Amino acid sequence: MRYSDYLNAVSFHHKTVSYNVLAPKIDPSAPKVDKRLDITLQQSLALIGPYCYTRIMDQVKAVVPLAAYLILFQILILRHPIDSALMLGGGLVAVIVGLAIFMEGLNTGLMPFGTIIGDNLPKKASMTVVLIIIGMLGVGVTFAEPAIGALQAFGSSVDVNSAPYLYELLNNWTLPLVLMVGAGVGLAAILGTVRFVRGWSLKPMIYCALVPVMILTGYAWLDPNLRSVLGLAWDCGAVTTGPVTVPLVLSLGIGIANAAGKGQSSLSGFGVVTLASLFPILAVLILAIFMSLTVTPDEIREAAQLASDAVAVVPTVWDQTPLIEIVTGVRAILPLVLFLMFVLFIVLRSKLPNRMVTFYGLTLSIVGMCIFNVGLTYGLGAIGSQTGSVLPAAFMELPISQFSPIYPELVGICIVIVFAFLMGFGATLAEPALNALGLTVQNLTNGAFKKSMLMYSVATGVAVGIALGIAKLVIGFDLMTVLIPLYLLGVFLTIFSTEEFVNVAWDSAGVTTGPVTVPLVLAMGLGLGSAVSAVEGFGILSLASICPILAVLTMGLGIQYLNRTKSSEKHTVPEALL
Amino acid sequence: MNERSITYLSDAFLITCVLQKELAEDVLAAAKNIGAQGATISYARGTGIRERMGLLGVTIDEQKEVIRIIVSEEQANLVFEAMYLAGKLDTPGMGIMYMVKLDRVATYVPDAILNAAK
Repeated sequence: MRYSDYLNAVSFHHKTVSYNVLAPKIDPSAPKVDKRLDITLQQSLALIGPYCYTRIMDQVKAVVPLAAYLILFQILILRHPIDSALMLGGGLVAVIVGLAIFMEGLNTGLMPFGTIIGDNLPKKASMTVVLIIIGMLGVGVTFAEPAIGALQAFGSSVDVNSAPYLYELLNNWTLPLVLMVGAGVGLAAILGTVRFVRGWSLKPMIYCALVPVMILTGYAWLDPNLRSVLGLAWDCGAVTTGPVTVPLVLSLGIGIANAAGKGQSSLSGFGVVTLASLFPILAVLILAIFMSLTVTPDEIREAAQLASDAVAVVPTVWDQTPLIEIVTGVRAILPLVLFLMFVLFIVLRSKLPNRMVTFYGLTLSIVGMCIFNVGLTYGLGAIGSQTGSVLPAAFMELPISQFSPIYPELVGICIVIVFAFLMGFGATLAEPALNALGLTVQNLTNGAFKKSMLMYSVATGVAVGIALGIAKLVIGFDLMTVLIPLYLLGVFLTIFSTEEFVNVAWDSAGVTTGPVTVPLVLAMGLGLGSAVSAVEGFGILSLASICPILAVLTMGLGIQYLNRTKSSEKHTVPEALL
Repeated sequence: MNERSITYLSDAFLITCVLQKELAEDVLAAAKNIGAQGATISYARGTGIRERMGLLGVTIDEQKEVIRIIVSEEQANLVFEAMYLAGKLDTPGMGIMYMVKLDRVATYVPDAILNAAK
C-alpha cells in the first residue's frame, strides 16, 4: 500500500457526490432566470457572523490597545482611579460598533458613488464642470468626516478672556469654520485633480501652498489676540484628511485621471492628501483674520459675558444626548449623500448598479455616524480629557489627585513626555490606513522602501510630534517657534528628495490622523491644557503631522544614498546572482 | 561547460483555493504548517451566488484572493484538508477549492536535494 493511499484512507471524514447530481438541470426551452436563493435562518446567521466579526475586530484592534494603554497609565503611573468607568466602557463600545458600521457603510454605500461619478463624469461633462463638482464634494466630505465633529465638540473648553478669537471661532463661528475647512479641502481636490491630469510635480505645489500659509501665520502671530488661533488652524489640516475624504476624493481623482488617459502613473493617487492638509490651514487663517477685522476681542468678551449671565436656556429634547448626536450624525452625512445623488441622477442621468445595496450602505453610514458620535462624547473624548487632566499630577500639585505631585518635577515631566511618545507610536501603528499606505509604497518602490520601515518611521514621527505637542503644553513654549522651523526643514529636505519620496512623505502625515487618534489626542491636549492652565490645547496634531513628513523624507534620503553607493558597486556583482 | 537540462517532477498536484479577500492568511499558514513549500496569491473578483441572495449578498466580499499551491501527491490530501478547515469552507459564502493532478512540473531544483533523494 502506498503512503498516500494510506493517508487518503485515514484522514478527515469525507464523502463524494457527483456534481452531475447536484447541478441544476438545463432546460433549453425555458428562458434562463436567476432564481432567488432560499436561505434558512441558520445559513444567514452563518453568513452574518463572520461578516460582522471581521469588521468589528478591525476597529477593536485600533481602539482597544490605545484605550487600555491610557487606562493602565492612569491607574498605575498616575495612581488615579478611572472615573465613571462604566460610561467610558459603554462609550468605547459605541465607538467600536459605530466605526465598524460607518466604515462598512462607507465602502458599500458611498464609495460606489465616488467610483461611478469618477468614471462617468469626465465623459459627460466639461473639465470646468468636473472641477466645480469636485470642489463642492470637498466641502461635503469635510462635513461627513467623523473627526471634524470632535473639533467642534471642544469649543466650550476655551477660556474667552485669554483667547477670545479662538473662543468665538469654536462657539459662534463653527459653521463658517467647517465651511472654510471644506473649501480648503475642495480647493485641494481641484488642484490635486488638475495635477493628476497634467502630471505636475508635487514639489512646486508644496512650496506655493506653504508661502501664503507662512505669511498669514506670521501676520496672525504678530497679533496677540490672533496668536491663539494658530494652533487650531494648523490642527485643522490634520483633522480633515480622514477616512471619508481620502478614499472618496481619491476614487474620483483616479477615475478622472483614467478617463484623461493619465492614470498609468504609479503616483497618481498621491498629493491630494498633502494639499488637503495644507489648504485648510490657509482657509482657517483667512477666516480668523477676517473675523479679527469685523469684531473686536472686547465685543466677544462682552457677548460671552452676556451669554453666561443670561438665564441658562432649558435645553430642548433635541439638545440632549443621544438625540443631539443623532442630529449631528444625520446632518454630517445627508448633505454629502444628497449632493452625490444630485450629481449622479441629475447631472449624469445614470443609475446605480445595485440600488438596494447602496441604500443599505447609506443607511449604515448614517447609523454608524450617529453611534460613533455618541461614542465620541462618552468614550474617546471623555477618556482623553480625563487622562489629560490627571496627567499633570505627575509633576505638579493638582486638587483632583491626592498623591500629587507623584514624582519630582523633572522626572514627572519626563514621564509625561515618554507617555505621549509611546501613545503616539502605538496609536499610529494601529491605524489601518498606515498599513495600506505601507503596502502601496512597498509596491511602488519595488521593495526599496519596506512596509515596516515606512510604518516605523511614520510612527516614530507621530510619536515625536505628540511628545513635542505635550511638551509644548507642559513647558508652555510657543507652538510657532517649533512648527515653522520644522516646516522649513521639511521644505529643505523636499528640495533634495526625489518625486516619489516627496509624494509618499507628505501624504503619510494626513493618513496617520484617523478617527480614533484625532479625538483622543485633541481631548487629551485640551484636558491637559486646562489642567496646567495653558491658553489653548491645540497644536499637538499639527506637530504630529510635520514630524512624520520629516521622518519619511529623511528615511527616503537615506535609502537614496544607500542605493547610490550600492549601484556603484553593482558592476562587481556577477549577473548570475542578481 | 555545463549542459542545460530540465528535471520534470511528477506526482504533483495543484490546489487552488478561492477565498474572500483578506481571509487568505490563515489558509496559507495552515498549508505551510503542514508542509506546502510555497504559494502564489492573486486577486480576483467573484460572481454568482451573491447576486441571487438579495441584501444578504453584502455579507460576501466580491473581491477574492486565489491561492495556488503545488504539492506532492503524498501531501496533497493533508494540505487540502488543512486548507479547507483553516478557511472554514464549511461555512456558507467562504469560498471554494479544488485540486487537479499535474502532468509535469519543472523549476529549479538544487543539486543537493536531487542527490539526496537518489
